[in-house]
Amino acid sequence: MAEHITCQEVVELVTDYIDRALPADEAALFEQHINFCDGCIFYVEQMRATVATVGRIEEEDVPPETKDKLMAAFREWKRS
Amino acid sequence: MAQTKIQTVPTAADEAALLARLRAGDERAFEALVERHYGTMLAVARGYVKSRAVAEEVVQEAWLGVLKGLDRFEGRSSLRTWIIRIVANIAQTRGAREARSVPLSALAPEGDEAAVDPDRFRGQQDAFPGHWRQYPSDWEVLPEESLLGRETLDLVMRVVSELPPAQRQVITLRDISGFSADEVCAALDVSAGNQRVLLHRARSRVRAALEGHLDG
Repeated sequence: MAEHITCQEVVELVTDYIDRALPADEAALFEQHINFCDGCIFYVEQMRATVATVGRIEEEDVPPETKDKLMAAFREWKRS
Repeated sequence: MAQTKIQTVPTAADEAALLARLRAGDERAFEALVERHYGTMLAVARGYVKSRAVAEEVVQEAWLGVLKGLDRFEGRSSLRTWIIRIVANIAQTRGAREARSVPLSALAPEGDEAAVDPDRFRGQQDAFPGHWRQYPSDWEVLPEESLLGRETLDLVMRVVSELPPAQRQVITLRDISGFSADEVCAALDVSAGNQRVLLHRARSRVRAALEGHLDG
């Protein structure tokens, strides 16, 4: 691999970097790059903020009728 | 910040205890399980079938499948991974019948998709090819409510709901439901490489939309 990576490469590696899924040599190049590049530091922070914002989406609740049906199915299952 | 949901991956001990309660017919345990996973199951089902109503039917059918298989579940995956696998299988079958569905191969990422518009980087003729023409902005200096406000959350919800189905399923499981990468691979039957590409594309699209909203 090259001895340095560009900003354009950083934006494609950032998900694996955040997930700690980069191989050690690529992680080292990634970190070397962001040590010197404010633009990419901002980009990584934007991605972290994006993940955090997506994480604030609430999952849908079970509609009460559905829950009643499923609980009835569970009682049925218990009896059988 | 990005790690906030990681610890929701259940431990083996939690799982064994939960499974024992379910098998013993503990209604509270089943109710909690339904409450915990219903929304995730619905989101996954909606990746394969046309309408919300059909997705709801699929989820109900999946729960019956869960009950049927509960005594035979061997714990080779986490319980929630197994549950999502069941709903995905049923939804896939239903979707194929509806004939709109995402064919199985659609869980593989299609074509190339740059995370950021290539025009934002310096060209090959430039002294610094591949470097930013203009830096992305620093979101840390934004007023807190711009990222945390209702308007931003609504935008992100809309963007996620409009993602291609496979990307939407992966980002939902990873970033909303807190599944690990391994759990997603097992639940949706995708390779580790495809899981990563789908997550990357999904997050990159959401970031780009947020950038348009926050910097606009």
